[in-house]
Amino acid sequence: MNRQSQRWLLAGLALWTLSPMLMLGLRALTPAWRYPGILPDAIDVWPVISTSAGGRVTSSLLTSVVLALVTGPMSAALGFLIAATIVRARKGLRHLTLALALFAVIAPPIAFGVWLQVAVLALGLGGTLTGVFLAHLVPATGYLTLFAVGVFTSFDFSLDDEARTLGASRWQVWSRVIMPIIKGRAAEGAVLGGLVSWGQLAITLLIGGGVVRTLPVELLSLVESGNDQLGSLAALWMSIPPLCAIGLLRVGTTRSGAAL
Amino acid sequence: MNRRELPAVAASLLLASPVVVGALYSTLAPLGLAGAGANGPTLGAIGTVLRASDTWRGLGWTMATAAVATIAATAAACYVAVRLRTSRAGHVLAILPMGVPHVAAALAALLLLGQSGFFSRITYMLGWTATPGEFPALVYDPAGVSLVVAFAWKEFPFLTLTALAVLLTTSTDLEEAARTLGANSHQTYRRVTWPQLWRGLAPAVLAAFAFLIGQYEMPALLAPSNPLALPLLTYERSVDSMLARRAEAHLGLLALVVSALIVLLHARWRAHVEPEPL
Repeated sequence: MNRQSQRWLLAGLALWTLSPMLMLGLRALTPAWRYPGILPDAIDVWPVISTSAGGRVTSSLLTSVVLALVTGPMSAALGFLIAATIVRARKGLRHLTLALALFAVIAPPIAFGVWLQVAVLALGLGGTLTGVFLAHLVPATGYLTLFAVGVFTSFDFSLDDEARTLGASRWQVWSRVIMPIIKGRAAEGAVLGGLVSWGQLAITLLIGGGVVRTLPVELLSLVESGNDQLGSLAALWMSIPPLCAIGLLRVGTTRSGAAL
Repeated sequence: MNRRELPAVAASLLLASPVVVGALYSTLAPLGLAGAGANGPTLGAIGTVLRASDTWRGLGWTMATAAVATIAATAAACYVAVRLRTSRAGHVLAILPMGVPHVAAALAALLLLGQSGFFSRITYMLGWTATPGEFPALVYDPAGVSLVVAFAWKEFPFLTLTALAVLLTTSTDLEEAARTLGANSHQTYRRVTWPQLWRGLAPAVLAAFAFLIGQYEMPALLAPSNPLALPLLTYERSVDSMLARRAEAHLGLLALVVSALIVLLHARWRAHVEPEPL
């Protein structure tokens, strides 16, 4: 492919990937954008933020942040614990646990949400933040178990055995031997778990019953009510953490030489 | 089971139990064996769902939109991966949509493709349309144009990333040999690059397709109400004010069955085309 056609392809690719993001950015800054204007009538963000709907977006943003901050580390802890045990377990147990983790990842969110709804309602946690957190924890731990299995597959467990031979307790082995080696990957895992929680909509709607308002739930409600400016603003806020995570991952892989 | 395996088994069971309980309930409720209105064994609710034209139209429509979007995204991903194999800027641009959540992407599609959206304004500026009504309905339309475009936009980075991973870990010796033997770029792609690429890309393509069948957010904002996409139909049943109709929420199992069938077919196809190791 010659340079000229490669440049055209890059321009087309930029148009394809960036135009939806630019559209959201532009709409978020514009209180009114009447048809058939190609450019917005005016640019002003403050009035829409200061409305009651703006307050609801801020509160839903906080709910989403809290859920992601709790779900991320918790799912990472559970995922790494499960993975560290099953990579050394018998074949049958390993396959069963991996199948359960994979099921949690590939099951359609709406079907998954309906099933979780039954269990959460039975526990009396329907429409509560705790119920939504527990529901988010299930798919997030599924992802994290698969992620951590990849980490532990190449882990040298002879270090663990040596520490145990030298008299270290199970807790000391985890805190002094395993954690210092895997802490970078565990942090990445916690971010991944947080992102899984961050993007959940169907499960939150079903378990939260419209009472627990996370950012995706609020965004859906804003778009359905025709509040495009605040909806776009919420959509941009929703996109920032995943985009930052991708940026960090790209920097990390480039530094480690694993970049594509 | 030894003591060492106990924490993992306990954690796995703890996580799996709500899903298993829920799935069991979703299976037993339509059979009349659990939940509100359980009056003994019956196939009534299952029969109602399987006889309803909504179910099959919803399933067919969902599979069709998912299939078209997956084919379009795969074609675009392969083209970009092959042509921009060594371009860093290309790689960065291609993976960017991955960071945008589905619900945000659906809103962007609404703003771009709606009848008073950005493209409609461009057609007005060019003098092709005079009112929003003259712009073709691409959102909430029975053909699902905006949904297919939004699906393709969101699946494109994942498929491009996978295609690049396949290409960059495959030796270019065969391609160079084909060129040396006189093959033009089209023949090299069709006979050498594509078979290698497809073998590595097929699982990702199937995963994307299965994921789109169960996708809720984008159909919620872009799909028509008739036919109703399968995830929307499942949600509607699961929150129905008539408790008896909630038993029909096992519709969600249909999406799971379709996904499982796809995985099974792929495993069989792979076993067929890939020779056993000696």
